[in-house]
Amino acid sequence: MLPNPLALITEITHRCPLHCVYCSNPLEMQKAAAELSTEEWVRVFREAGKLGVLHLHLTGGEPLARTDLTELISGARTAGLYVNLITSGIGLSEARLAALVEAGLEHIQLSFQDSREAEANEIAGTRGHAYKLQLSRLIRQFKIAFTINVVVHRQNLDHLADIITMAEELGPDRLEIANVQYYGWALRNRDLLLPTRQQVEQSQQTVAAAEERLRGRMRIDFTAPDYYARYPKACMGGWGRRLLLLDPAGQVLPCHAAGVLPGMRFDNVREHPLDWIWRESAAFQRFRGEDWMPEPCRSCERRTEDFGGCRCQAFLLTGDAAATDPVCTLAPTHGVVEQALNQISAGAVPSSIPPVPANWIYRPNPGAMSE
Amino acid sequence: MPAPDPNSKPRLAAGCRWAEANGSERMLMFPEGALRLQGTGREILERCDGQRSVQQIVDEMQAQYKTGESGRIEQEVSKFLESLQQKRIVDF
Ligand SMILES: C[S@@+](CC[C@H](N)C(=O)[O-])C[C@H]1O[C@@H](n2cnc3c(N)ncnc32)[C@H](O)[C@@H]1O
Ligand code: SF4
Ligand code: SF4
Repeated sequence: MLPNPLALITEITHRCPLHCVYCSNPLEMQKAAAELSTEEWVRVFREAGKLGVLHLHLTGGEPLARTDLTELISGARTAGLYVNLITSGIGLSEARLAALVEAGLEHIQLSFQDSREAEANEIAGTRGHAYKLQLSRLIRQFKIAFTINVVVHRQNLDHLADIITMAEELGPDRLEIANVQYYGWALRNRDLLLPTRQQVEQSQQTVAAAEERLRGRMRIDFTAPDYYARYPKACMGGWGRRLLLLDPAGQVLPCHAAGVLPGMRFDNVREHPLDWIWRESAAFQRFRGEDWMPEPCRSCERRTEDFGGCRCQAFLLTGDAAATDPVCTLAPTHGVVEQALNQISAGAVPSSIPPVPANWIYRPNPGAMSE
Repeated sequence: MPAPDPNSKPRLAAGCRWAEANGSERMLMFPEGALRLQGTGREILERCDGQRSVQQIVDEMQAQYKTGESGRIEQEVSKFLESLQQKRIVDF
């Protein structure tokens, strides 16, 4: 029997004052005018609650760009959802934070780009680092759970220990160290972001030592880089198995990046109930279960654990969305990943780029574009 | 952080709460997931109200499960609380 989805991820806007070079948002972003209204979002939250969803993750873009965020949070709490805000923090004053907490916000996840100010601002294409530090101290004064998220890559992995120390001083409940996943803008900047094998090995040791030292004080969640793994990640816990993602305009997708897949039609909450989209829509059924799987996945015993990996990565790297995820060492197309890694280890690109890498492709702000 | 002190008063950490659902199972919500709790786990956690001390929780559990030897229940409570503290679900 088809299980209920556990979590709803909502990109409530694609507008964002930052321009992170690793941003996983789609290259084609939704404009402000296309965004769902407050009432539409709250209706979706109610539908999600009825469908058995437990957690709501408010993300974007920058969710703070929505002036109705407080109403969205209280609407979601009324619908029985646990509410998490994933944010860059830019746009959050003390008064606004107090209003969000009052409305029922339970967990805030604040992203940093680095522990070093100049480098952090370089990656974000915005001068936001100092404010994030200030904001962290403010967040700790509220009774909500606090996670710091740092996306790691070749440019900042060499000072991962400093990043952990920075977090330790700010005192969140958790530190999430997430290796870049190559979707959206991150894939465009892959040559500058892909870490070296040495960095990856070193970072694993750094994290293990920090976990030991900080046990009981700060929990560390580390996402390893899948390019260096033997097997792929269980992307989204399997297609259409646990999660639903809504884009700003109400399209429902099985994951963040699925919009890139050719020939797929994603239904919209403006036209269909969420329940129907989850159970019946063609997009959610397309890669659900095992019927779509090619060899070697079809007869592989890991298929119930990783579900053949990520469909979007398969498409982006091989041109075929129904291929085995090429990061899998058993995949016939694994060569494309090896090639990218060889280029890094052969020193074709310097392992740490001195002062300012000039070739970043920055993520634009679609709010600005539509004005 | 080591095992909880018998005098400390455990409570749910910020951002952790019981879901409204009822029945024999109760769900504890926390930032990255939810725990379905039954039996002793649920009984211990329901007593983590910031009022009762660890010692009190142990005593109450002992009174309820008269069969268990005192040492074992004490150890069980303490190990359970320690693991939840590491997950940032309980503070003490
Ligand atoms: C797309 S952002 C939107 C929310 C908000 N603007 C922020 O950056 O915190 C959602 C989360 O994904 C992380 N993230 C962004 N791009 C990523 C990538 N390519 N790989 C892994 N994590 C990424 C961000 O650090 C953030 O925690
Ligand atoms: S550009 Fe940065 S801050 Fe903005 S949505 Fe992307 S990851 Fe978040
Ligand atoms: S062959 Fe397929 S199922 Fe097996 S490990 Fe690789 S991706 Fe996973």
